[in-house]
Amino acid sequence: MAFGLLKYGFRKRYPAKPQFTPSGTTLKKRYDVVIIGAGAHGAGIAHELAKSHGIRNVALLDKGYLGGGNTARNTAVLRSNYLTEEGVAFYRQSLKLFQGLSNELNYNIMLENRGQLTLAHSDAAIRSFRWRAEVNQHLGVRSELVDRQTIRELVPQLNLSEDVRYPILAGLWHADAATARHDAIVWGYARSACEQGVELHQRTAVQAVEVTNGAVHAVKTNRGRIACGCVVQAVAGSSSIVAKMAGIRLPIHSYPLQAMVTQPYKPLLKPHVSSPHLHVYTHQTSRGEFVIGGGSDPYPRYGSRATLEQKEALSSAILQLLPFLAQAKVLRQWAGTTDMTPDYSPIMGLSPVRNYHLDAGWGTWGFKATPICAKTMAELVATGKPPELIQPFALERFYRFEQINEAGATAAGH
Amino acid sequence: MQASPSATGASPTAFQRRSQLYRRHLDLDAAFADYEGVLAVAAYADPRVERALAERLGLADLSTWPRSGCAGPNAPQWLADAGRQPPNRPNKAVAQEDGGLIARLSEQEFLILQGLEADPGLFAALQGNWPSDAAESVHPLPHADSHCWLALSGALASEALAKLCAVDLSSRSFGLCDVAQTSLARVNAIILRQDLGATPCFHILSDASSAEYLWDALVDAMREFGGAPVGLEALRTLKLRDRPSESFSPTERHPRIQPRKAP
Amino acid sequence: MKLLNCPLNGPRNIAEFTYGGELRPMPDPAATDAQQWAEHLFFPDNGAGIVTEWWCHTATAYWFLAQRNTLTDEVIRTFPPSEVFKQGRKLAGKDGGEKS
Repeated sequence: MAFGLLKYGFRKRYPAKPQFTPSGTTLKKRYDVVIIGAGAHGAGIAHELAKSHGIRNVALLDKGYLGGGNTARNTAVLRSNYLTEEGVAFYRQSLKLFQGLSNELNYNIMLENRGQLTLAHSDAAIRSFRWRAEVNQHLGVRSELVDRQTIRELVPQLNLSEDVRYPILAGLWHADAATARHDAIVWGYARSACEQGVELHQRTAVQAVEVTNGAVHAVKTNRGRIACGCVVQAVAGSSSIVAKMAGIRLPIHSYPLQAMVTQPYKPLLKPHVSSPHLHVYTHQTSRGEFVIGGGSDPYPRYGSRATLEQKEALSSAILQLLPFLAQAKVLRQWAGTTDMTPDYSPIMGLSPVRNYHLDAGWGTWGFKATPICAKTMAELVATGKPPELIQPFALERFYRFEQINEAGATAAGH
Repeated sequence: MQASPSATGASPTAFQRRSQLYRRHLDLDAAFADYEGVLAVAAYADPRVERALAERLGLADLSTWPRSGCAGPNAPQWLADAGRQPPNRPNKAVAQEDGGLIARLSEQEFLILQGLEADPGLFAALQGNWPSDAAESVHPLPHADSHCWLALSGALASEALAKLCAVDLSSRSFGLCDVAQTSLARVNAIILRQDLGATPCFHILSDASSAEYLWDALVDAMREFGGAPVGLEALRTLKLRDRPSESFSPTERHPRIQPRKAP
Repeated sequence: MKLLNCPLNGPRNIAEFTYGGELRPMPDPAATDAQQWAEHLFFPDNGAGIVTEWWCHTATAYWFLAQRNTLTDEVIRTFPPSEVFKQGRKLAGKDGGEKS
């Protein structure tokens, strides 16, 4: 063992086989498909293109590194208890795909079925939860309204005192909710894509998009020009900026959303717990840390700097629910950029520019959509037609005034 | 002319108009009085105790006391024509001849507070004179039902407010007749400084619907400085004194509080 | 806490303010079709860099404009809307207003 380690240490070359395209690989002059953004969505689309459609001459570009954007910054909540028929159908399918993803990628994504408890602190919230439960059950998603006694059994640690500003009145229990390791998903997808011939090019920033006669035919990067048959943009957090290069305007406001994790504890909280009223949600990760997230910042901003005010708001809210965290130390804190659409639904499909496909507007609901997004976007690239499941999410809906009002979109807001 | 309480021991429920805080006053065994039709708390305790409190740190509820306001491009001229002196820039107040205050809240908006010793009846004269014609470019903004009105008096008033308000209200930066429209204990408030004799005093106007919350927050903030609620009579006596009573010293009773050095 | 300089009230905690969206020209209702309305309503510039936007000081309900860098969150300057809107909207009055 020690001998093996010594041998390993003295090797001139890294002994393991690289899982991704080795850095320094030169860019080709032309790819069939260029995917801008190597996050979970981009890598997933690349994997699906290669595996399901045999499209392997694909460049997966990122201005930073693999999975270093919002994939690394989200709080890893998988759920499908949405409110609109379109939303529930879409996320239900996504959750189903997550269940088989470790096997499909031969990569452990550390999926854990946890369930999610959303708390009601007002009569209005109970009414809306009842509505959501009915819609969910009708569409085959496990959601039910639960009373305080059931809440006590599900999460004994919750502060159910009536002597607080917003006592807990009822809850929405969503047994299908789960969590998974976000990094593992993007690594698994990218490894599979690279094995099948896709090229991952990190630190390759797209600086311009060449459009002639209404069709895209090349992108300019800091490492040179790439001709391409088709472009997919999957750059959550920078969607407006990248789309502008292709001359496309998007109905998006970019707000930071801040989160933090505490020191690790022994396993004591199984489900996700969220309170739209207190603007806070949490779960205990498999490492034992409590990951705590909340509402978006009060005004739009690019960049990932966190603020003390939001940390104070998160802390005061979580202490109402789980008072024992008063002793906890905050280990890390950060912000991600959420591309919020007016109707809290994504923007997927065709764009005004031919062969330029949009995977944008992912606000706070992007991570949980990863596998279904990969499948449907790859099908769109291969066939040129958006699959039925994502047709309602076309950019065009805003011009037809047919928004999908997704009131079940965020953990913090109704 | 000073209006004196004509009927001490008046019952709040006998009046059509009560403060949003009257239950708080009942809990404190307040002595209510009828000031020419306006119900207010005269005192909660012995007058000498109350005066000492008001010099140190006292909170009075003036929510029933007359006040009004007006807005519009022509508001400054209209006030001048009515024999009042409007301030010439926003966030300033001017003491009026009758002891009241007029504060300018923005270019075109004014708040009028009745003096504590003036006859409340006199205010009706102004109220009755509002122009009914839109062409006058001035319209009334009554403030009487929308806001509660508290007065925080005493040498330690700005120290107590510092716990609840981010704006520096100490004498160094917030002088006589200064106005701050800001957040106080997380609710919006208009804060005006009008000293009573030699005693600092801050008038606070805030949303009537959160009056009990603000009252409780202020009482709580005052506790560490030994402050407590006082009646209208205590504020009125302060106004007649031009220097603090000699027995008073902030450090004497509370060793934790050090007198501030002159800048 | 971050401070914002209100043209009416001076520097205040940012918690006293409400963000009011980008400054955008209002389309002429008489010459605007459905597509243009959709663009005006739903498609902001969402720019990365220095933008001009509306803010409201909630304690006074005072609306003003700010130039802010959305990448660094640095406020370049704040100013009253009268700098942009030279002519205020006419109040409905005796002569101009609707008769009821």
